[in-house]
Amino acid sequence: MKRYVYINDDESSHELFCDNRISNRKYTVLNFLPKNLWEQFSRFMNQYFLLIACLQLWSLITPVNPASTWGPLIFIFAVSASKEAWDDYNRHLSDKKANEKLVWVVRQGIRKHIQAQDIHVGNIVWLRENDEVPCDLVLIGTSDPQGLCYVETSALDGEIDLKTRVIPAACMGIDFELLHKIKGVIECPNPDKDIRRFDANLRLFPPFIDNDVCPLTIKNTILQSCYLRNTEWACGVAVHTGNETKLGMSRGIPEPKLTAMDAMIDKLTGAIFVFQIVVVMVLGIAGNVWKDTEARKVSLDLVKSLYAKFIDWDSEMIDYETGIPSHATNTAISEDLGQVEYIMTDKTGTLTENRMIFRRCCISGVFYGNEGGDALKDTKLLNAVAGSSPDVVQFLTVMAICNTVIPIKSKTGAILYKAQSQDEDALVNAAAQLHMVYVNKNANILEIRCNGSVIKYEVLETLEFTSDRKRMLVVVKDCQNGKIVLLSKGADEAILPYAYAGQQTRTFIEAVEQYAQLGLRTLCLAWRELKEDEYQEWSLMFKEASSTLVDREWRIAEVCQRLEHDFEVLGVTAIEDRLQDGVPETIETLRKAGINFWMLTGDKQNTAIQIALSCNFISPEPKGQLLLIDGKTEDEVCRSLERVLLTMRITSSEPKDVAFVVDGWALEIALKHYRKAFTELAILSRTAICCRVTPSQKAQLVELLKSCDYRTLAIGDGGNDVRMIHKLISVLALVEEKGCRLQEQLIIVLESSAFLSQYSFYKSLVICFIQIFFSFISGVSGTSLFNSVSLMAYNVFYTSVPVLVSVLDKDLSEGTVMQHPQILFYCQAGRLLNPSTFAGWFGRSLFHAIVVFVITIHAYAYEKSEMEELSMVALSGCIWLQAFVVALETNSFTILQHLAIWGNLVAFYVINWIISAIPASGMYTIMFRLCRQPSYWITMFLIVAAGMGPVLALKYFRYTYRPSKINTLQQAERMGGPILSLGNIEPQPRSMEKEVSPLSITQPKSRSPVYEPLLSDSPNSSRRSLGSGTPFDFFQSQSRLSSSYSRNCKDN
Amino acid sequence: MSSNAPSSSAGGVGSADSAAPRRNSKRPKYSKFTQQELPACKPILTPRWVISAFMLVSIVFIPIGVVSLFASRDVVEIIDRYETECVPENLRDNKVSFIQSDANKTCTRKLRVKKLMKQPIYVYYQLDNFYQNHRRYVKSRSDSQLKDNSSWNDVSSCKPEDMSNGQPIVPCGLIAWSLFNDTYNFSLNNQQLAVNKRGISWKSDRDSKFGNDVFPRNFQNGTLKGGKILDPTVPLSKQEDLIVWMRTAALPTFRKLYGKIERDLQPNETIHVTLENNYNTYSFNGKKKLVLSTTSWLGGKNDFLGIAYLTVGGLCFFLALSFTVVYLLKPRRLGDPSYLSWNRNPGGH
Repeated sequence: MKRYVYINDDESSHELFCDNRISNRKYTVLNFLPKNLWEQFSRFMNQYFLLIACLQLWSLITPVNPASTWGPLIFIFAVSASKEAWDDYNRHLSDKKANEKLVWVVRQGIRKHIQAQDIHVGNIVWLRENDEVPCDLVLIGTSDPQGLCYVETSALDGEIDLKTRVIPAACMGIDFELLHKIKGVIECPNPDKDIRRFDANLRLFPPFIDNDVCPLTIKNTILQSCYLRNTEWACGVAVHTGNETKLGMSRGIPEPKLTAMDAMIDKLTGAIFVFQIVVVMVLGIAGNVWKDTEARKVSLDLVKSLYAKFIDWDSEMIDYETGIPSHATNTAISEDLGQVEYIMTDKTGTLTENRMIFRRCCISGVFYGNEGGDALKDTKLLNAVAGSSPDVVQFLTVMAICNTVIPIKSKTGAILYKAQSQDEDALVNAAAQLHMVYVNKNANILEIRCNGSVIKYEVLETLEFTSDRKRMLVVVKDCQNGKIVLLSKGADEAILPYAYAGQQTRTFIEAVEQYAQLGLRTLCLAWRELKEDEYQEWSLMFKEASSTLVDREWRIAEVCQRLEHDFEVLGVTAIEDRLQDGVPETIETLRKAGINFWMLTGDKQNTAIQIALSCNFISPEPKGQLLLIDGKTEDEVCRSLERVLLTMRITSSEPKDVAFVVDGWALEIALKHYRKAFTELAILSRTAICCRVTPSQKAQLVELLKSCDYRTLAIGDGGNDVRMIHKLISVLALVEEKGCRLQEQLIIVLESSAFLSQYSFYKSLVICFIQIFFSFISGVSGTSLFNSVSLMAYNVFYTSVPVLVSVLDKDLSEGTVMQHPQILFYCQAGRLLNPSTFAGWFGRSLFHAIVVFVITIHAYAYEKSEMEELSMVALSGCIWLQAFVVALETNSFTILQHLAIWGNLVAFYVINWIISAIPASGMYTIMFRLCRQPSYWITMFLIVAAGMGPVLALKYFRYTYRPSKINTLQQAERMGGPILSLGNIEPQPRSMEKEVSPLSITQPKSRSPVYEPLLSDSPNSSRRSLGSGTPFDFFQSQSRLSSSYSRNCKDN
Repeated sequence: MSSNAPSSSAGGVGSADSAAPRRNSKRPKYSKFTQQELPACKPILTPRWVISAFMLVSIVFIPIGVVSLFASRDVVEIIDRYETECVPENLRDNKVSFIQSDANKTCTRKLRVKKLMKQPIYVYYQLDNFYQNHRRYVKSRSDSQLKDNSSWNDVSSCKPEDMSNGQPIVPCGLIAWSLFNDTYNFSLNNQQLAVNKRGISWKSDRDSKFGNDVFPRNFQNGTLKGGKILDPTVPLSKQEDLIVWMRTAALPTFRKLYGKIERDLQPNETIHVTLENNYNTYSFNGKKKLVLSTTSWLGGKNDFLGIAYLTVGGLCFFLALSFTVVYLLKPRRLGDPSYLSWNRNPGGH
């Protein structure tokens, strides 16, 4: 499907395409109520409450006033509905602002100031510096003589560096005044959400130049919501408008996210529902036996529904509290944070600083920078540069110009480089320091200053680095002698196999291996001279390929492939990417906390492993073991996967860190054909390194873990991580939050949410059990002991205020948690309502209900057995007990806790006195009457002592003689003694050089045969330790590199 | 509570702050509240604290228990169960038809005073197995009608006793309809023993729940007579038996105040009670008892609180003792890191 956009054609396109009005609204005024209700009622819990509330409308079977159910239900619904409405209104406001923004658009040949929403497809839009782009545009002119402009795309992909965009070749040189009158047609695909691809063609009508079709790529467009920077003006043709822009297509309405807690509550509501049905049936039969014919109908509502309603209520209120600004992007997920089981992290920029520094290089077999660790200071290299050694000069030339960097001269005369990739930036800067300065780029002419002389190159073609091709291609023409040269840089496996027949690539392979061992990022540089006719022939094919609309990328890659052979490999560069502060410590801590850690990176396998080692991601031998999954074919991958799985199953019982390494190719096959096996592996393995993975594979991995019901946290910064993160339920802006802060939050959130739900069940069950007991002495007729007002207040107020502060409860101080991160693991295991804690709270609530009920009916027997009084005695008994329960479960009392717990108790009396003072209320004078009776207070103390005594005794016993890990740490912390833990985190040396001494070059080679055991199909053999002083046991059946290398050699 | 560490986060995370400059923009405003660093007291369950808590409870509870038990024992109570004895022996096979007949239901009972009873002596009637707390019974009343004359026809909630002969009943509903109608006359040494029936109901009920301009109307005119017939000339606020009855009991066994005898009764005195046994408890096997009781600061005769206090106090004492013994025999250092499993078995979870 294509669309034809006629430039500057005012009439024809208006009906075909939508206007530029954007709308992010979820609701309209009309559909708000039904749509919102529908959404809310899609939750099981809400359906359940609706059912109960409807049942209560039938007065015959209702023990309490329907308002006690309807009131809170409507309130909760109103709160969430108004929150939704408010959000939607704000969305509407921002839409409106964007829609009504004034932009310059050419209408009938004249530039006019119109509202952004009136832009139509085909209009020419003018932008000034720092303007926001109102819709997707194809550039036709900029203020820059070379037709360049700079855009900031952070709203699209999160990358904050400026991107260059260029006008299509056909529009080059059109006069500023003539741009108004430009006519033509753009043939472009229908809108999609791929922000990296725009395969279109432009044909201008006479009098504007030729009839040739000019291919357009994403480089010729500026997309909606980008900002124009560093460019005075730019103009472009609107091709996609409104909600049909690339941004608009990728922007989905956020679905309401269910957190783990919500899901749990839904499940438990189901359980309660079943429980209710059972109780109703049992009591219904009992009621029949009791000869009351009405009882059966009546008992249907005997078990009051109220006791689960406010679980959700509590948690929702809590969310706003815990959503302390630290990560406020989505308040609902804070409770999930405590339950993260898998963390998937990007390497570059997340674990590492993404500040690349050129460290070493290997030029024609000579290693530079090995001694000092910095090639730029290596006198050998400096001498070579000074002596203009041809190899070195060639090498530096490739470093300087084989890239997409744009040099910008600042006012002081210094040259700044605008690079899209940090690697390129590092290389160009390094070249500049080695006197190969990339001075200027003027359209297609590059200027390089080398040892004082200026060399000019004309860039003929450029094919940028892609993660699929893993290399970059530039074809340049030397302006001095007219030679056409092909320059390439890329990953070793993408370059070395294409070396010319006679070249010895062995030293380069060794260099790459050695650098990778040091955790450096490697790139190979190569070049080849092209003959004029060879280039001409190829150039035609390239032009044709680059103007296709279908599979353009693939076609271009294929064409380029024809040129990429017989390379002369010049050398290898090694770039260091420093680790961020505190990364090793943080990872160690999180891993001890039982959180599984996966590193997903595009780096080379060895580089990834070294980085992983240096940041404690995997443990060195003998504690750690690394298993490799590789293979080029399905069979190989399958075999290797099974072998690793077998090893994993056997070792899973041992206290050993087993990690697996998988590369992108094998991962692709594994995910496609052996999904089940890979899933099992993923569950078994606590650590994994996935190297050479593409962004979509990252997303697939996240999806995989999600499908196994694990809480996954993805951390990343770059645009290539966006897809991965979008796949998650939990989107966290955690990039800056790495480190200690995270753990603190984890444990607090975890504990409080667990206590919250347990407590909610406890308090609701207490009331529920009392009602059940009371039904036995009221002829199983379903009379409610408590009046509706009290019940409502009990749930909404008396029992929920104290728990609110439980959010602020800390059971351990940060220091202790930092010292014993393992504790988090135990928290994970005991999180929320597992059956045993649930049984504990169930038993406690049953016991407390019995205590309150038995004591009340005996102390208030005979002449005191007045209904209202007795009900208030029982209720105050419950309130007293719950205050003490909360107090017992609270670990640290701040002023807030005291206020909430005891203040709440006081509030209970104050409120009830006020109600008792109203003559119209049912409980007029009751509370005054009770408070004057000594027997009332005596009864309260009895209830508290009888209810809390056993609980305290039990807790003390468990605390002292069967302490949980948390308890032990609490005790240790409060006793003030030094806390010794064998698992202490020792500060790790951060610099890689310290850990890995420069390896002799022959070492990797000599190790290869030893790696064979994995092929022997015996899982035991794969655990054989090497013990040869290698950092850890790394099994590699056969390095892909060496295999391809040897194949290469054989071929020749 | 023992509080060892008054500050919550003394040590620890300096590193969180060292990274501060980098995230200045997003950093929330510092306050002790948002940073969860309010000064806190963190009690832990040390043996000393727990044992002394239990000890304290037992020390407080046992004396209270003894005092309550004495208070309850001081109360003198005369209980006379009469629902069977007041049916003529030849009719005891079919009590229901007796009670529904028009026969003379007068009955005489003798009560012997065992101990000195100081005034005021409360006269109660006690009903057993009478479910005043049944849902449909409890609801069958109209508070607005009782309170205000103008809403005399507000009987919607009173079914099945809402209308009679097409007219609203005042007071309507099952509760009022089933008003207890046995009467007692006491005589001591052939002299009438005055029973004060004024002020037996709650003052708040008389003043604000039952109107002084609401008069019984069309009451007990139906075919099925429930209980007492009210004097249509006396306003409801003065019908204290009704007011007492309308305070429904939460338990199936309950006592309601009938009146007060405002003189002391000497030991070995015999009181003759002439009672009208009108109320039908026979159809549901309900018991009827006449109770004369004095009162104490704790209320009527009820040993429960005293015994419960003694039991709880005793148990607490026992717990405190056994915890002490266990503590002495098997001391255990709190917070010993060797209890942490990962210290015992490093690396393994």
